Amino acid sequence: MIPVRATFEKCRRAKYISHLDLMRCMQRAFRRAEVPIWYTEGFNPHAYLMFPLALSLGYESSCECMDFRLDGDMSMEESMERLNRVLPADLQILRVAEPIHKHTDIAFADYQICLDGDDAAALRAAWEAFYAQPEIPTEKKTKRGTTSVDLKQQIVLSCVQTVEQGLVLQLRTPAGTSVNVNPSLLVDAFRNHLTTQTPPLALGMVHAARTAILCADGTPFV
Amino acid sequence: MLFDRIEPLLQTIQKPARYIGGEPGSIMKDKTQIKARFAFCFPDKYDVGMSHLGMKILYSIINRRPEYWCERVFAPDTDFEQAMRENHLPLYALESLEPIRDFDFIGFTLQYELCYTNILNMLDLAGVPLLQSERGESLAPIVCAGGSCACNAEPIADFFDLFFLGDGEELNLEVMDLYVKMKEQGATRSEFLRTAAQIEGVYVPSLYDVTYHEDGTIAAVTPKDNAPAKVRKRIVADMDAAEVPEEFVVPFSEIVHDRAVTEVLRGCIRGCRFCQAGFLYRPFREKSPEIICKQAKTLCERTGYEELSLCSLSTSDHSRIEEMMDGLLTFTEQAHINLSLPSLRVDNFSHALMNRIRRVRSSGLTFAPEAGTQRLRDVINKNVTEEELLRTCGIAFRGGQSSVKLYFMLGLPTETDDDIRGIVELAQKVVDSYYQMDEQLKGKGIQISISVATFVPKPFTPFQFHPQDTREQIAHKQKILEETVAGHKRIRASWHPPDTSILEAVLARGDRRLSAVILEAWKQGCLFDAWSEHFDFAKWQVAFDAVGLSPEWYANRERSYDEILPWDHIDYYIDKTFLIRENEKAKQAQTTPHCRQHCSACGVTKVTGKPCFPFEKEAAT
Repeated sequence: MIPVRATFEKCRRAKYISHLDLMRCMQRAFRRAEVPIWYTEGFNPHAYLMFPLALSLGYESSCECMDFRLDGDMSMEESMERLNRVLPADLQILRVAEPIHKHTDIAFADYQICLDGDDAAALRAAWEAFYAQPEIPTEKKTKRGTTSVDLKQQIVLSCVQTVEQGLVLQLRTPAGTSVNVNPSLLVDAFRNHLTTQTPPLALGMVHAARTAILCADGTPFV
Repeated sequence: MLFDRIEPLLQTIQKPARYIGGEPGSIMKDKTQIKARFAFCFPDKYDVGMSHLGMKILYSIINRRPEYWCERVFAPDTDFEQAMRENHLPLYALESLEPIRDFDFIGFTLQYELCYTNILNMLDLAGVPLLQSERGESLAPIVCAGGSCACNAEPIADFFDLFFLGDGEELNLEVMDLYVKMKEQGATRSEFLRTAAQIEGVYVPSLYDVTYHEDGTIAAVTPKDNAPAKVRKRIVADMDAAEVPEEFVVPFSEIVHDRAVTEVLRGCIRGCRFCQAGFLYRPFREKSPEIICKQAKTLCERTGYEELSLCSLSTSDHSRIEEMMDGLLTFTEQAHINLSLPSLRVDNFSHALMNRIRRVRSSGLTFAPEAGTQRLRDVINKNVTEEELLRTCGIAFRGGQSSVKLYFMLGLPTETDDDIRGIVELAQKVVDSYYQMDEQLKGKGIQISISVATFVPKPFTPFQFHPQDTREQIAHKQKILEETVAGHKRIRASWHPPDTSILEAVLARGDRRLSAVILEAWKQGCLFDAWSEHFDFAKWQVAFDAVGLSPEWYANRERSYDEILPWDHIDYYIDKTFLIRENEKAKQAQTTPHCRQHCSACGVTKVTGKPCFPFEKEAAT
């Protein structure tokens, strides 16, 4: 049995597949591709598939991970080729390798968020005022109810760029099995901030992409 | 391609995966190589429409032709519709993401009368004139429809260029072929429609003038421009040779029936007098077990589905069901596929078959006695006896089942209050039989759910002449049901307010004048009438009043045998004289044997020229 970590991209039309639906989609892809995947043992055996870090609906990424085990006479390269033939064009596996890190090693994720707006300069000015606040408190929904998070403390903003369509932000957020901060919280907080401006500014389309999944020491999770 | 205009709208709406396509199995083509584009529209939400086998069949057949491209279109949910309207985004197809108003064909499938306002809404969202008469002489788009409700398309006749009657496998392609030929010749819309009307199975409503008597009944239906006086449906004679999809579009999001489906037979031998499908899809045609297993296996491999179900009106009537089950179980067990059987009849549900199904996995049992007393079951020709039901439930109980769902109808012809009480009495007998069993399962109580629907008389059935119960009669009977079931703690009964069934009855047997009512109802805001959270009969009543028609006249009026019915010029192989004979027998509570026992001369053999079952010499009348 060979453990495999597949890195895949999820773009364009595939962005709108929810995490739960992605699991089902991949399970069916394994069947179509006739890749001998390991089944869990027990009363109700099912294909063993693991996604170490969920991606929000509507986010693009080319660094998503999926773990499975090959249980038969097939190389991981062939499994990738077979899967890519039956997967949609916007959901393709980029590489396969034996996993090095454990799921619990995931500590951060990097994102690029593009915020469209009619007036990029005004949006930039609003952003600077918003981000200059000493605290950006927000409510975060968890399984145990809502908790309060200071986004200013949690999220590291590495770069802000003004472009023709609006702003481009590069962020690093805590991610993994213990703490997770979704960058959408920051976008929502900024959107709320914009409504308090005079005159209020509107945010257009938000293009969000995950650009890396990282371990605690900042090296890529592989 | 509208991708960049669609995408911003997806950020704020529910289940966006329904509106962006890209699913495995969806077919992309280079449009510059395409001679005709077909928008296959399902007039309900994605979750419902994606479950429909007919769409999968036609999608596959049209797309097998390199010069044609068939794409899918569904009714957007209200949140996305609002976003589309606010942003002037026209209705588009899920493969190319291009507006369907630019397609050659906009084709709807008509599965349920309460989808009619959705059709108008979709045409409006597409930017296509709703009325056929306002579409002018340019050839495209041809707005067409098929499916079971096309057997009486009169209520929506004003909105359509043509209808496909019967099986679409061959017919749709023939019409597309003619279209391409005439498009190259520069034909106009009406020239094309006149020629298409000569193809068997094509009904062009604008080629028929309908006149009325003062009392509202039809005086005459007059064809023009050489259109046939009677339009006959098409059938696929050999089901083994019929083309079937080898793959499905496999959705990302969950849909109503999210599994592989293989058709095992078409038509039904039973002749239940309330059942429209049982008459519409005659003659009875089986696929051979070898073909069924091969097709099912290929489909499971190509889709990756882990569940397979069989589609038919009555799977257990397949003459070689044991062989079929054996073949299916052999490959599904190997491949970890769950096989489910939806429509098994009570009377031939054998212990042997039951055990084989249980080898896989079984969910709850459902049976449809349809009526509570033997007398009424004889009236409707549902040839199931109480003993058979109890015997079958006994087998199921011994197999470990402890919940049974029973389906009934309320408002059947000749029904009395005692027949309603009989529903609960029958259910109680099932409960009693459970407790009389020796090998009773300890600690697990039995639960019977009875679901009671309001009967809707439908065209091409012996009850097409029959009035539907009035709202007051239905309320009275539902009250009796409620009173009778109170105190039976092992029985749970459910029923619905009658308004939906009343509207269904009006539209099912309506005439052309109802097009104006449907249009007005849509303008009043009626949409998704099949969904109880959207349905608003008061708005429909406003529409009826505005047009000056009465729903009661359509729903509650008995039709005489010599009245010209709105669908009398449509030929589904079923003789009206046969339906009259059956209706008279119903009044006497006389049953009719099923087609394998005895041919009742419904009219099918007159068209096919041969008996439906070869061993019956007497059948060829």
